[in-house]
Amino acid sequence: MTNRWWELQIIGHPAAEDVIFWRLTEFGCQGMATDLIPTPPEDLPTLGTERALRVRAYLPEATAHTLDLSALSIWLQQDAIAAEILPPKVTWSLIREEDWSSSWKDHWEIQEIGDRFVICPAWLSVPESDRIPLRLDPGSAFGTGTHATTQLCLESLEMREAQCTPETVLADIGCGSGILSIGAILLGAGHVYAVDTDIMSVKATVENCNLNNIPSECLTVKQGSIDLVQAGLDDSLDGLMCNILAETIMPMIPQMANLVKPKGWAILSGILLEQAQEVSDVLEAHGWIIATLWKRGEWCCFNVRRG
Amino acid sequence: MAKKVVGLVKLALPAGKAAATPPVGPALGQHGVNIMAFCKEYNAKTADKAGLIIPVEISIYEDRSFTFILKTPPASVLIKKEAGIEKGAAQPNTQTVGSITRDQLRSIAEIKLPDLNANDIDAAMKIVAGTAKNMGVAITD
Repeated sequence: MTNRWWELQIIGHPAAEDVIFWRLTEFGCQGMATDLIPTPPEDLPTLGTERALRVRAYLPEATAHTLDLSALSIWLQQDAIAAEILPPKVTWSLIREEDWSSSWKDHWEIQEIGDRFVICPAWLSVPESDRIPLRLDPGSAFGTGTHATTQLCLESLEMREAQCTPETVLADIGCGSGILSIGAILLGAGHVYAVDTDIMSVKATVENCNLNNIPSECLTVKQGSIDLVQAGLDDSLDGLMCNILAETIMPMIPQMANLVKPKGWAILSGILLEQAQEVSDVLEAHGWIIATLWKRGEWCCFNVRRG
Repeated sequence: MAKKVVGLVKLALPAGKAAATPPVGPALGQHGVNIMAFCKEYNAKTADKAGLIIPVEISIYEDRSFTFILKTPPASVLIKKEAGIEKGAAQPNTQTVGSITRDQLRSIAEIKLPDLNANDIDAAMKIVAGTAKNMGVAITD
């Protein structure tokens, strides 16, 4: 069954933002969205400002009943009065999860990356091209090919195409939608161990492998992290890919060194340029040689190999 | 030529933990923004502030690209941290659940000043004190 959420909408005076945030947090809302809107004419006499604050906050349907929401509405009014701010107007409705989680995909288009890949949303026809089509439906997982770090990783993989043979065994740590695992297999790699701590990513990777007709023996996908890769290996890896964030990658670097063969390689991204020096120091301290450092916008991608 | 801004959205999110769930999904999905790209950038830039709520103001352009700036944590989060309390009072003005000193109030106001509709530190302190009062946090000298 589709998940539903309560969407609470609060229209009030801009000065009430902090007080509203506090009350919503106490009520159990995880975060909120705000913007300034022209004050609805019917609220103008009450609010006395031409620009009203619109707050939207969300709760899973099962966590609140309409009586709870009515109580919240009263608290918000009391809070405003106590803070000598005009009381806000509170309304709520139920929304379906797919109403918003898929809306951005309407604008997602076929995209060429590097010299070899063309990323094709699952619901569009694959274009005629010399490029390798990589079909994707990321669901709620990371990795669509639109982000600079994913592009840098795919371009780095392309540079390793000659080393992607049926004997090549790789790992994809933090696989997200599976885009890098699939890219590596489409380039010729024999097997990829893909792991992600998010179960939705594991699901998305399996589905995207099916979309791309990847034989099941080419890919092992599991929920977990680098420890799980290590536990499942019979031999060392030829290479690994990891596109997460610097804070997550750095603690794994010592373990990565143990996983990869003496002449093995790694592609690491999700790293902001300002973090490059710190990551570089950790890599070198653990015997990695930095072959290239590619930059795009604020992001960078390390291509490294064992010394 | 500068790109046209078609939306300005502010989100208050746990640092390093943005995901495609509400409020990010509904707020950005309606503008056609690539939600996962936003999450990745936000999480990268707030990972060192884990445990705090870091609001972010996102400008959305006509080509559905976006830029964002991080804002200061909400006053209520800073007050709870200074007062060492988990929750505020359930009923405003009737319960006291903790206290902060005037110096602590001033330091919170100094952090919040760039994001408040206040011209000076005294006005900012008054706004923060109002939030504290609502939360049941007393100001002591």
